[in-house]
Amino acid sequence: MMRRAALIGLAFGAGAVHLAAVGVLLAMHQRWIIVEALTLGQAALLLLAGGAGAMTRGPVMGALAGAAAGVPVVALLAAMSLVPLNSIFIALSHDLFNMLTLGVGLAAGVAILIGGGAIAGLVGVLLSNSSQMVRRAIFPGAISVVVAGVFQELIQLMLQQYEGPVGDFRDFIYTWEGLSLQGAIAIFVLAALLSEVFGFIWRMRAERTASHDHRRERMVRAGIALLILVLLPMLGGSYVGQVLMLVGLYILMGMGLNLEVGLAGLLDLGFVAFFAVGAYSTALLTAGSAHALMHLPYWAAMPVSVLLAVAVGVLFGLPVLGVRGDYLAVATMGLGEIVRVIVQSDFAAPLLGGAQGILEIPKPSIGNFVLGNPVSLFYLTLVASAVAAFVAWRLENSRLGRAWEALRDDEDVAQALGINLVRAKLLAYGLGAAFAGLAGSIFATMLTSVYPSSFQLLISINVLALIIVGGMGSLPGVVLGSIVLIGLPELLREFGEYRYLFYGAVLIVMMRLRPEGLWPSDVRQRELHAEDETLALDAGTDAVPAQPR
Amino acid sequence: MALLEVADIHVFYDKIEALKGISLAVEEREIVTLVGGNGAGKSTTLRAISGLLHPRQGSIRFAGRSLAGLGAHEIAAGGVVHIPEGRRIFGRLTVNENLELGAFTRRDRRDVATDKEQMLVLFPRLRERLKQLAGTLSGGEQQMLAAARALMARPRVLLMDEPSMGLAPMLVEQVFETIGRINQQGVTILLVEQNAPMALGIANRGYVLESGRIVLDGPGRDLLDDERVRRAYLG
Repeated sequence: MMRRAALIGLAFGAGAVHLAAVGVLLAMHQRWIIVEALTLGQAALLLLAGGAGAMTRGPVMGALAGAAAGVPVVALLAAMSLVPLNSIFIALSHDLFNMLTLGVGLAAGVAILIGGGAIAGLVGVLLSNSSQMVRRAIFPGAISVVVAGVFQELIQLMLQQYEGPVGDFRDFIYTWEGLSLQGAIAIFVLAALLSEVFGFIWRMRAERTASHDHRRERMVRAGIALLILVLLPMLGGSYVGQVLMLVGLYILMGMGLNLEVGLAGLLDLGFVAFFAVGAYSTALLTAGSAHALMHLPYWAAMPVSVLLAVAVGVLFGLPVLGVRGDYLAVATMGLGEIVRVIVQSDFAAPLLGGAQGILEIPKPSIGNFVLGNPVSLFYLTLVASAVAAFVAWRLENSRLGRAWEALRDDEDVAQALGINLVRAKLLAYGLGAAFAGLAGSIFATMLTSVYPSSFQLLISINVLALIIVGGMGSLPGVVLGSIVLIGLPELLREFGEYRYLFYGAVLIVMMRLRPEGLWPSDVRQRELHAEDETLALDAGTDAVPAQPR
Repeated sequence: MALLEVADIHVFYDKIEALKGISLAVEEREIVTLVGGNGAGKSTTLRAISGLLHPRQGSIRFAGRSLAGLGAHEIAAGGVVHIPEGRRIFGRLTVNENLELGAFTRRDRRDVATDKEQMLVLFPRLRERLKQLAGTLSGGEQQMLAAARALMARPRVLLMDEPSMGLAPMLVEQVFETIGRINQQGVTILLVEQNAPMALGIANRGYVLESGRIVLDGPGRDLLDDERVRRAYLG
């Protein structure tokens, strides 16, 4: 028992050392959550010690694990004070040393690290064993404080136009530097209270209506999310608009890839090719520069771009028809790279502009109103996403959607039941490509220029990662995945170079804790929790004998 | 003329000749079984008929029409439905969705609904589990689902590959009973089985395969009594 707790603690401590050595810890230390009280970096350390504690049983073991988590960090400090490590690991600087020791020197710092770790571990294990009621108060409270603290600049920007009660509230919780201690306490209490009240109401309703309507409840949640999405850029201004617009583009692509991967089970790592086709088509059809073939208005170019993307999607599908599984991932990756290389080549430069790209793509306009700023372009993306979501939703429940699911599960049987494999696969690639083509078209007009370097393999991987994190085959999952994997890193710009570290960590944690994704589709949820459901059903049939109909 | 006629087909996996000239005929409303050891070519024969494999030589005719050059989905739509070996149901879809996929090629929505109702009468266990994921069914239930799903296509010929594989003895009997009932409804059946005694017991006629060739054929009862068959397959 003790051995296990100590090992868990050491593992989490090693994680902290890793964060320190790559430099992200110090970068996080630059951001206050609560001014003069707690930084994001310190919160990360506390979270690690607390997490170690939460994985053990009993207060003693929790404290032990938390203290053990401090040991690798202490070892790092000792090594740093003996050897000039920062000639190799530039992140292991004097600033980091001061951060970890809280600037009070090595001896006192060690005591604080071990002691603080033990306390955090104790809190962790107590929280993980606490009642639902306690957890329902603490977690939303803590998360709200972190959000309010870390995004203080953005929130203050949004709130600055208000006077009166909103303005007073703003001045109460924020100083010009960030969240104040009294503000943090206020937000914590408020969020905890709200969570308790809503939790209470929800349980009351669930009790009254014996079989609570799961579907309706989800619709309501989705509706609220949508409303926030619509209102946010209006309040937040052009920066938020720009971030949300990027999120929107990835939502579009995610929905497209979802048809291929989530429904038809065709792994595709060359998805960026369709995005590129959409963008370049729009560029060639509308640009004011010499490369343009035509000078169509944007609204005419957009559907043509989508159709061209569909055509390329079908072409793309042909060579990989007989390829399955891992080989399919490699083959599609190669095809995606071929598109980028062709666009970049000197050979195609006279037509596509080579590495210099195509410039002077006009912004779309409605009548005399030009959709020039990020916020109005965001609304264009939003409308496009809504249309695309509707199409995707209808497709899922169509004959074609069923055929895709069948071939995902078993190609042979699908054929034996009369499903045309070739047609179904090519349609999956073609329709998936349509979504990416639409995203590419909007992307081109957003940047008013296109370059081959915008269409890297990483985009394909990002889109795949976001549908995995969101939940395979789930439309709301795509939205949530885009916000988490695309939106958050945009807002946390200063950690930009650690973006893929963050991705990797999120993917691993997700696979361990929630393999069905953040917002799974019904099917995935049923699949991964099939066991409990079977038990529940069996219990159900025992209680109520099956009724003949 | 027989409903299904296979004439001298040769099937290759790369360079290995798996079927070395198989000829067989199945009459309308018959149950015909193919028995033989592992690797004799039983499953390969079924896969060639349903279009999942293409013979290099020889012909397959169904209701007088050649199946050469047709895709598997076209052959299925024409009324030859294959239930592959193993419990190959769509595990991530519900029982209901599996059944509806069986009727994929059919446009007559109302008849499909009646057929589904009929399946649920034929397999009452499936009705209890209609909304459950097919992957959570027991082995016997999955085999029932596979049969019911195939029947939803209103096949004229059903190609069944090892329907009793991996099932408890009691369930095996149940499966064979079901095969008999399906046949009584007018469906012609070509059955591949390792369980030779049960298969020959139910079949009108049988073929014995050995390393890609037919070595013996005749009425099921006769084969069951044949000394060579007894020694080779029945122990």
